[in-house]
Amino acid sequence: MPYDLFEVDKAIPERKKHIYIKKSDDPEAEIPSCNTKTIPGCMTERGCAFAGVKGVITGAVKDAAHVIHSPVGCTAYGYGTKRYPTTSSMPDGSEFPLENFNLKYIMGTDLKESDVVFGGMKKLRQSILEAAKEFPEANAIYAYATCTTGLIGDDMDGVVKELSEELGKDVVAFNAPGFSGPTQSKGHHVGNHTLFQHLVGSKEPPQTTPYDVNLIGEYNIDGDLWILKPYFEEMGINILSTFTGDCCHDEICWMHRAKLSLVRCQRSATYIADLIEKEYGVPYMKVDFFGPRYCAENLRAIGKYFGLEDKAEKVIQDRMAKIKPELEFYKEKLQGKKVWVFSGGPKNWHLPRPLEECLGMEVVAVSTMFEHEDGYEKIKQRAKENTVIVDDPNSLEMEEIIEKYQPDIMLSGVKEKYLAHKLQLPCVLIHSYENGPYIGFEGFINLAKDIYASIYNPVWNLVEFQDEVKEEPLELKELSAEEKSTLSAK
Amino acid sequence: MSEVKVTKRDRNVIINPLVTCQPLGAMYAMYAMYAISGISHGLPLVHGSQGCSTFVRYGFSRHFREPSEIAVTSLHEDAAVFGGRKNLISGLGNLAARFHPDLIGVVTTCSSEIIGDDVNGFIKTAQEEIKDKLGEKAAEKIKIVPINTPSFVEHHFRGYDNAIKSLVDHVTLDPTNSNDKINIIPGIVNPGDIREIKHIMAMMGLESIMLTDTSDPFDSPLRPGATQVKPYYPKGGTTVQELEDSSNSLGTISLCHYGAQAAHSLEKKYNVPSVVGPFPIGLQNTDQFLRNLKNMTDSDIPDELLDERGLLVDSMADITSRYLFGKTAAIYGDPDMVTGISRFICELGMTPQLVCTGVENKEFVEEMKKVAQEANGIVEIMYGQDLRALEVQLQEEPVDVIIGHSDGRLIDRDLQIPLVRVGFPVYDWVGYHRVPIVGYRGGINLLDRITNTILGEYYDPVHWKLQQ
Repeated sequence: MPYDLFEVDKAIPERKKHIYIKKSDDPEAEIPSCNTKTIPGCMTERGCAFAGVKGVITGAVKDAAHVIHSPVGCTAYGYGTKRYPTTSSMPDGSEFPLENFNLKYIMGTDLKESDVVFGGMKKLRQSILEAAKEFPEANAIYAYATCTTGLIGDDMDGVVKELSEELGKDVVAFNAPGFSGPTQSKGHHVGNHTLFQHLVGSKEPPQTTPYDVNLIGEYNIDGDLWILKPYFEEMGINILSTFTGDCCHDEICWMHRAKLSLVRCQRSATYIADLIEKEYGVPYMKVDFFGPRYCAENLRAIGKYFGLEDKAEKVIQDRMAKIKPELEFYKEKLQGKKVWVFSGGPKNWHLPRPLEECLGMEVVAVSTMFEHEDGYEKIKQRAKENTVIVDDPNSLEMEEIIEKYQPDIMLSGVKEKYLAHKLQLPCVLIHSYENGPYIGFEGFINLAKDIYASIYNPVWNLVEFQDEVKEEPLELKELSAEEKSTLSAK
Repeated sequence: MSEVKVTKRDRNVIINPLVTCQPLGAMYAMYAMYAISGISHGLPLVHGSQGCSTFVRYGFSRHFREPSEIAVTSLHEDAAVFGGRKNLISGLGNLAARFHPDLIGVVTTCSSEIIGDDVNGFIKTAQEEIKDKLGEKAAEKIKIVPINTPSFVEHHFRGYDNAIKSLVDHVTLDPTNSNDKINIIPGIVNPGDIREIKHIMAMMGLESIMLTDTSDPFDSPLRPGATQVKPYYPKGGTTVQELEDSSNSLGTISLCHYGAQAAHSLEKKYNVPSVVGPFPIGLQNTDQFLRNLKNMTDSDIPDELLDERGLLVDSMADITSRYLFGKTAAIYGDPDMVTGISRFICELGMTPQLVCTGVENKEFVEEMKKVAQEANGIVEIMYGQDLRALEVQLQEEPVDVIIGHSDGRLIDRDLQIPLVRVGFPVYDWVGYHRVPIVGYRGGINLLDRITNTILGEYYDPVHWKLQQ
């Protein structure tokens, strides 16, 4: 059997089907059981649907005011979470007057006990009106259901419809209370459908070109988008809308006018690409820009679609030449180092091959918080023989994976990072990154550098007190002059 | 000489809250519950949606840079319809079987409170099931404490209060013999602060029972050889035995008003005398803390401790009149921390021009009015407010320095008023959880922190003013 029941899971044997060890001769259908309800009390790393919609999908929109329909907690937690930087530039060339608006403010209806008893609709209405008054510059208002408002059954759609007319700007309700669905993935889904249903097709772009694309599922984590954008510009491709990194509300409204949609995060945003294709006939292409090889392949594919092959090639050659020396340096240093990738979803199939091929690392474990079947199929396809693939690993399993598979580094999130450190395992953040961006050619070097800096951190040689001075000097990393100049040139 | 102006939020919409919901406070308190042997420990189990634990873990991790293991019952749609009985019972069973804790605190949330789950009843059933599975002896060792923290009532400070009270009410045993200890309810403070309190008490020859002790769990050594794994538990924390023993203490001091419930409960039930506040920041408040300890225990204040006081006094004499006198500050966050820091600000010859808390609490206003009597100038007291209100007020009437947690960092940037980071959460700069601001030594740290911020912002540009 390709499934493994961990020692730590003896009391919850149903975890067995979530832990799959890759065997090439398995039938294709053998993948970890996924996207199912979490076992209570197992110490999961998963989040909620509200986090999925506000934290992942909409929190990146630069000119929308976010009103959380909740008691104070969800509003407080929704503040400044993911690293989604924005510029002030708007598509018509103007500047949005509130700098960092999406990162700086969050609003909430601050529900109290009496609202739970009598309903929160009045407060929702009042709060949205007040939000519009406080920030008249905001071009739209997004309101979010939470556990409380989901349970008391507030009809948010009714309220926002009225207010859209009253305020003369889009007010949109996202109905993804925290308890809906097994993971934050449910929130992505609701976010996609809501934005499509209420916005796409409602506005026209200031201008169009034959090379307009939607870049879907690119949230500009730590500036990822700003790495990719120049590639497109140099190829002569115009990003008409980004869904939703550094985007403005209107960009979502005119997504139907693109000639092609490119789907970057295929877990959280294939839904809307699909819907736009069905309704407006805009085809979509799934793309992968992590690691130089995939980045090159996908730029070529996009170039081919638009007949811009030469320009794509030029971008690729130019960037490859730039990163080559550093890539070689890191490959030499990271050769044979074992890695465990634990991301939310797609980075588990984006990263393993590039880490192996470009950096010489060995991926021993892959795990996700909220991936679905299609994602696990891709993960399995790209994973090497005997890699352990774990759906929704809990913290005890984390400890067992570290013990069994002995990774040299873990790529994960902040909740896992410090436990890994206590177990002497260096950890690099890949949800919001350490010193990103990590996408594209240059970004992959940033990732390699962070991995290198973590593995070769001198502290790992100094962890325990030694009774006697070692004869051998500590293996502290010393860079050659050449290496130093390569690194400082970055 | 002094004058106060009191304002409350004048809109319903809350913008950048200064408080969060009750469960966070409860988890904060709960996370510090550990047992003595280093084998079996305590864990919070949040009875709610996954976000309720994940967001809090995220918040703790980025502030403390430490693991924070918080379990959740993962309520989904079916629980919303049929109740969370199955989730809570199996969640408790799974935690018991896999993590072998000494104590589990069941922290309720919006959802479980609205659904109306009979948490006490479910706990009883779970205990029976655990007994069947793990045997009577193992099951009896696991204390399960219900902590009601409906998120739509008040804020995380109330959650902290409710958690400490539940722990005391459910775990503390009837008194036997005096243990000569003092119970301390520290509030939502940093590990460095708790260590400073312990240091002061140790100097006075006193032992404490911290209700609860976050110092080691939230700032724990990386020592693989001495770390318990599978499951990982940090060292330290308050033991269940200490909690049981807290009725034998000479007294309880809650450093914060929002920790009063448990102190009063111990007094009412077991005649353990209690004192609430003041938060020991600066000279006068720390003096009062020492006097409280002295009165409860008859112990002397040793010379070394008075030397520490003298070091703070010396620093103030050397520094404040030149660099700080007449400077104005805005202080926001935890109500007790705000009043404590404000008083210290007055001691430094500065003016707490604007103080702001998210807590809608008359007690805070009264405390601040008392502090304002020591202030040179008008003190504006904002309560039940949020960070946006503070920002708008600062746009109209700026101050020289802002004192508060990291959520104000963009106000610092946009208004170009430097922010001195204190309290929880501080996630953008490092080390703040380690360095105390309470006690005399904490006073020196805070004084240096404020002064260096002022020097960097106002003096450094005119660099010759810093020559000597």
